[in-house]
Amino acid sequence: MSKPIRPDKIDSVIHERVRLAIVSALAVAPEMSFNELKATLSLTDGNLSAHSRTLEEAGYIRINKSFEGRRPLTTMRLTPKGRHAFRLYLTILRRIIERNVQ
Amino acid sequence: MERDVAQARMREVQRIMERTTLYTLLPGTPAVIGGVMALAGCVASYAMIKSLDFADVLALSFEAQIGFCIMWTVIGVVAVTQEILLTARAARLAGVSPTARPARFAAFSLSPSVAVAMILTAVFLHDGNMHYIAPVWMMCYGTGVYAAGLFSLRLPRLLGLAFIAMGAVGLLLLPQYGVLLAAVSFGLLHIVFGVVVLARSRQSSLI
Repeated sequence: MSKPIRPDKIDSVIHERVRLAIVSALAVAPEMSFNELKATLSLTDGNLSAHSRTLEEAGYIRINKSFEGRRPLTTMRLTPKGRHAFRLYLTILRRIIERNVQ
Repeated sequence: MERDVAQARMREVQRIMERTTLYTLLPGTPAVIGGVMALAGCVASYAMIKSLDFADVLALSFEAQIGFCIMWTVIGVVAVTQEILLTARAARLAGVSPTARPARFAAFSLSPSVAVAMILTAVFLHDGNMHYIAPVWMMCYGTGVYAAGLFSLRLPRLLGLAFIAMGAVGLLLLPQYGVLLAAVSFGLLHIVFGVVVLARSRQSSLI
């Protein structure tokens, strides 16, 4: 029988709902623009900016700012560290669901 | 964390991943295949009616007209079928259900405009007025693709808008060049779209 999951094992950066949504989307799409993410997740500019900054500071996503023609283009992608953290978080979720551990 | 919360989080993650996967599942190869089929259909149409105007099909014998209709029906059915099968295969390879909610939304968005185009086609055939058949199909299809693109990336919406714009120009200015309009839109535009999608996905997989 394996050990129960301690609350401190849960990654607080990913656990936040909006940040989890951002990471979930970027886990599938190789790269998404700011506007695409905003539309997919139905977020406001401010909300997405704030949470993506937190994820970037944690090293979970990489934000690239460039220009497409004359328009600024911000794109985001998951880093290997972010992908690992996301997988770990999903594993913990599954264990909680399967064993009803609190 | 409680079990209910974990389950809710897991459902949320699945929902977002499904939605995002369908964002990225643009049908590149099926678009190229469909475009080539449409081009072939246009070449065959021109060979049959010796004109760029679909209205001239009415000058053919009844048997030839039936053959013409069967040819385009087969092209339409095969093009749509291969697109559904290849996209569903891509979805399965990506680990999501091909019948997930966003895919159904996309299908539902496309079907009303295609149904409208089919009804208008029947009316045109009944009235013996085939001048507008290509631009009407272009605009109906473009409307459907644009609506379906609301659940996807910007690229399909641009394709839909291009179809609508070309259809409008064709309807207002060039209805007698229906075969050419169909070749450029359903043929070349689809091929260009497919090539762009394939190039983008290759670029992403290389990074």
